Amino acid sequence: MIALDQVCKSYGSTPVLRGCTTAIGRGEVVVICGPSGSGKSTLIKCINGLEPYQSGSIRVDGVEVGARTTDLPKMRTRVGMVFQHFELYPHMSALDNIVLAQVHALKRKRSEAEARAQALLARVDLAEKADAYPIDLSGGQQQRVAIARALALDPEAMLFDEPTSALDPEMISEVLDVMIDLAGDGMTMAVVTHEMGFARRVADRVIFMDRGEIVEDAPKEQFFSAPKSQRAREFLSKILAH
Amino acid sequence: MPEVILKNLPFLLSGLRLTAEIALWSILGGTALGLVIGVVRHLRVPVLAQLFALYIGFVRGTPLLVMLFICYFGLPALLAYKTSAYGAAVVGFTLFIAAYLAEDIRTGLRSVRPGLAQAALATGLTRAQALRLVVVPIALRNVIPTLFNQYVRLFKFTSVASVIGVNEFTGSAMLVNGREFAPITIIGFVALTYLVLCFAISSVGRLLYARLAVRT
Repeated sequence: MIALDQVCKSYGSTPVLRGCTTAIGRGEVVVICGPSGSGKSTLIKCINGLEPYQSGSIRVDGVEVGARTTDLPKMRTRVGMVFQHFELYPHMSALDNIVLAQVHALKRKRSEAEARAQALLARVDLAEKADAYPIDLSGGQQQRVAIARALALDPEAMLFDEPTSALDPEMISEVLDVMIDLAGDGMTMAVVTHEMGFARRVADRVIFMDRGEIVEDAPKEQFFSAPKSQRAREFLSKILAH
Repeated sequence: MPEVILKNLPFLLSGLRLTAEIALWSILGGTALGLVIGVVRHLRVPVLAQLFALYIGFVRGTPLLVMLFICYFGLPALLAYKTSAYGAAVVGFTLFIAAYLAEDIRTGLRSVRPGLAQAALATGLTRAQALRLVVVPIALRNVIPTLFNQYVRLFKFTSVASVIGVNEFTGSAMLVNGREFAPITIIGFVALTYLVLCFAISSVGRLLYARLAVRT
């Protein structure tokens, strides 16, 4: 459903993505990991057109993301995104955060959008927080609202950009549980994360990036048991050391 | 209340009413124009952003009275239209305060985390929608105190309109003083009235901010 072919991007003369090629099939869960600055976040932001790329091709359901004629807003309603720092609208209640794009991007009726938002809040176990403002929610709760906000558009795929990196340790599992549920429902997912436990549990494939390159792209069993590259071995030994 | 004030109260109140009208129209017009200029400058729209930067520089570097003269004598002659002193005052004050409001609003826009606009775009909103529904509302709420400071300034500045012959509050008070010659009483009354009304305007600002401020 998502296909990347030789994607290159640079900021001025600094390359951040160097010929990245991979594909994510429908229903597949792919975890992207790698040291900081390796281009993981940039890569998934390219997939929904939040970051432009200079060459190569990214296709979502056959539609070229970088093409001038592509209706990016429409494409983005089909590919949800969750950010490291939640990015909930601070001037709106949790419910309104989830309603906004349903009404303005999908043109749903407000009553219908609110019902959907309520159902999603219940799904992420926050039914009683509909009227709370982001500032009054914990990090884990905010991130679950953010996931609900993305799901409200009934996307076919979800992108997660380090969804648990900004959370206190005790809140990580409540967010991962929601993501594990989603994966169980057959959602297509690309997840940038350092949560190797999550990767072992739900990933179909693991992509390891370093310095803008996809160094390793393997089924998770193979990635964890016998990484091919020296760089992936070093990375794994560092993050699994303790 | 002193007799000289009581006797002339209807006349003074009609002046005060004019002051309030001029201030209200200029605040509404100036805020709308300031919002447009602030957004255009924030987005760095080519050509327009530079033109507005020039405009802001011009207003900031010109005395308010000169702005009024331009709107009363200059522009009508240049563009061949007729205007009243009242109309010229509203236009002049609007153009004047819009320049300051635009800069305050731009500051507010810059204070909104870029991640919020990205999140809005990621949910399929267009750039215009992200701006209108997320970025601008947050920016405006954040700058409510600054905007109301400007409104208070403008309210006091309207007294300058008396120079181009608008008999607003200060102007009508000076006429009364010319007839009665009781400067301490009359000017004291005028000053006190401005003080109370300015306090009222900033109180409205404080109340609005208490209700609408974005807590982060």
